[in-house]
Amino acid sequence: MSDVAHVAQELLVAASMLIGTFFMIVTGVGLIRFPDVFCRMHAAGKAGTIGISLLILAPTLFFLDREPFVSVRGVLAIVFQALTTPGATYLLAHACYVRRYPLHDRTQLDELKEWLPTVSDEEFGRE
Amino acid sequence: MVARGLAAQSALVSVWLAFVTEVCLLALFGTAALCLYRIVIGPRAADRAIAFDTLSSVIVGMVCLLTILWESTLYFDAVWILTLVGFLGSAAIARYLARGRLFR
Repeated sequence: MSDVAHVAQELLVAASMLIGTFFMIVTGVGLIRFPDVFCRMHAAGKAGTIGISLLILAPTLFFLDREPFVSVRGVLAIVFQALTTPGATYLLAHACYVRRYPLHDRTQLDELKEWLPTVSDEEFGRE
Repeated sequence: MVARGLAAQSALVSVWLAFVTEVCLLALFGTAALCLYRIVIGPRAADRAIAFDTLSSVIVGMVCLLTILWESTLYFDAVWILTLVGFLGSAAIARYLARGRLFR
């Protein structure tokens, strides 16, 4: 591998690491600052997915010329993560809405109200 | 310098890349602290579940950065195994919250 290509590879690795870390920090700050559970899931589901994908991309690029099988595993991990993190977030949000977790005070519109039956805590215990 | 402390001695990874990796690692430690704070104060169970999901993502990111820093592919299997296990955990917690039980 030539010198220029090596430097370009390291630059790509550093860029994906830095951008991914930035998105993970944004996710953490969103988890602390957002008012209700659905807003927090918005932070964790979107910024978290892109952040962790970029962070896995960094070693995938780093080992690209030395150990290609590791890079294959990295691509698989990115695909898994991009498929499963939004799915898990959706499942949790669905469960929260069904169990009537409180919405934020300034919520303007609740379109799901007439479509999705909810269960209060008293009814839930009875089964 | 910190860079020579954590990085492997026979350096295929250059000094500035090791430095960038360590800065990112420190930032991820801060993010993990934020997630732990949300787990402690989270008003209800779903807040803790979503914070734990993010925490597992942060740990996967740390493993990726240490893979670069130590130039070792030993721990890279942990990345996609943690991905799958984290999804199973979140799905199980969501199902338990919605129905009150895991299996029919």
